Amino acid sequence: MSTPSLVIAVPSKGRLKEKAAALFEAAGYTLRVRGHERGYRGQLDGLPDVAVEYTSAAEIVHQLRAGRVHLGITGEDLVRETVHDVDGRIDFLAPLGFGHADVVVAVPECWLDVSRMADLEDVAEQFARSHGRGLRVATKYTNLTRRFFAQKGVTGYRIVESVGATEATPAMGTSELIVDITSTGTTLKANHLKVLEDGLILRSQAQLLAAKGVGWDARANELKATILGALSA
Amino acid sequence: MTAESAKAFEALEGQARDLVALFGRAGYEFVAPAILQPAGVFLDQIGEQVRARSYVFSDLAGEELCLRPDLTVPVSRLYLERHPRAGEEARYCYNGPAFRFQPLGPSTMHPREFRQAGVECFGASDKAAADVEVLLLAVEAVRSAGLSDFRLCFGDIALFYALIDALNLPERWRLKLRHYFWRPPSFHALLDKLAKGERIAPNGLVTALCEQLAGKSQAEAEDVVSTYLQAEGIPVAGNRTLREIAARLLDQTADLYANTLPKEVATVIDYYLAVSAQPREAVEQIVMIARGAGLDIGDALGVVARRCDLLEAAGVDLAAATFSTEFGRKLEYYSGFVFQIEAPGMGETEPVAGGGRYDNLLTALGAPCAVPAVGSAIHTERLLAAVGRASS
Repeated sequence: MSTPSLVIAVPSKGRLKEKAAALFEAAGYTLRVRGHERGYRGQLDGLPDVAVEYTSAAEIVHQLRAGRVHLGITGEDLVRETVHDVDGRIDFLAPLGFGHADVVVAVPECWLDVSRMADLEDVAEQFARSHGRGLRVATKYTNLTRRFFAQKGVTGYRIVESVGATEATPAMGTSELIVDITSTGTTLKANHLKVLEDGLILRSQAQLLAAKGVGWDARANELKATILGALSA
Repeated sequence: MTAESAKAFEALEGQARDLVALFGRAGYEFVAPAILQPAGVFLDQIGEQVRARSYVFSDLAGEELCLRPDLTVPVSRLYLERHPRAGEEARYCYNGPAFRFQPLGPSTMHPREFRQAGVECFGASDKAAADVEVLLLAVEAVRSAGLSDFRLCFGDIALFYALIDALNLPERWRLKLRHYFWRPPSFHALLDKLAKGERIAPNGLVTALCEQLAGKSQAEAEDVVSTYLQAEGIPVAGNRTLREIAARLLDQTADLYANTLPKEVATVIDYYLAVSAQPREAVEQIVMIARGAGLDIGDALGVVARRCDLLEAAGVDLAAATFSTEFGRKLEYYSGFVFQIEAPGMGETEPVAGGGRYDNLLTALGAPCAVPAVGSAIHTERLLAAVGRASS
């Protein structure tokens, strides 16, 4: 195949992959993997000069940021967490109506005295007096957490990075509270955690995104309009 | 100029050799603590703001490490390694790199890798004398490097604590104000609430619990909380204890039912934090504020005055110095005297040297008893640049 006019990165596994495929299918541009079933390249029926790259949801953010692909589909939470200068790098073209997840601040349910972000600074003061250190916040969203806590004036904490089973860390004693995603709240509830009243950091869902730092010629723009029109219809 | 060229490197090395030699002659032993520090111990003391600017990483064994963002904590740890019982007096000096991420990108005035040369004095019981000794050494050091025109700025954290102690406040408010002092935006929001006589209204659940807790003791409060949790099927999980949760609910109960604090308290704190003047004049202003409010902070003011006497006796021109009550609110481990040396043309966020007293840090790092400690560090790249500017 000759050089594609436009490259779009889509998630290579899980719910995001299925939902993206269903969306393209419904729009009349069926996504096809080229070569064997586990390949990492694909194409869209009816748009032969579009190349599809299957890659991880996190990697799609890096590809967009670096301008190595034109379009991408991934979660807003990953974009906002990873790209510091997001406005200069990436355009949010359209929310896609799936992959809903809220990034929230959650504390143990037994903290009856705590319901808002403003309580955390007082708790940090008390905790430092009795335990000799600040509160630990377990999360994989270190940048979102830092920005949100700074905006709320909470400083007496320290982030411990957590890549899996974050919601179990307070009970295990490796953190005091967490910042994590939740869609139904079931996992939080099962771990006896509650979301703070003003603890919603981001209401995230899958987005169609465009890289700013990539060559956009007339054909690429035309294809972008076609795909945007088809997916947001 | 992060020693990234050979010439800059040699100039910095030459300056550092002279500084360390001067510290050595003053009785400070040269030490070279580790550049890689355990992140946990180190960063628990320093707060998330500096952590956000520290290079933190996990090594192949999964240990969380950092490139030291300053040398005071590493030198304090070294002191404790040598003197686990923390009883001895010791004076150390150092010269070496420290690292901080610069959000706006590294620059000459804000490099991400910079060299600190400095001194730390542990265990000296005459605190005012040790404060002055360290400050004079920093002054002599920048002078000997060729900087003759500079400005001295001081503050004293202990004076603020003395003011808070002298004010007629419930203990929970005292603790709160001490803690918030290090977080100026939240502190001002809190003072504002005080000044307007606003109550901090808790949510429905807390209000309902407070009704049950009014007039209760700590033990009774724990029973109420425990009963409630059991009824709701909520386990007590995590590091924060039932005792702590009940204690804070009692504080919230007290805030809900107590009279709001008099506006005068907020006004006195506001007046105090606005003082910034030549040191003798600043002391006079603070005396007036204290007298006006009927507060006795004579002891803490006496310490400031004695420090001024010692500095003047050593030939420091106080008329050219500034004492600011707001000064030193950035690094939470400071506990008393704080100072910095500023060169002409460089802003207050770009001091060539700075330091202060940190009497609580060593216990936080594991010392079995309190260790009075005071130190100062020279930002050697800035000093070299300031000397270069002054001579060109």
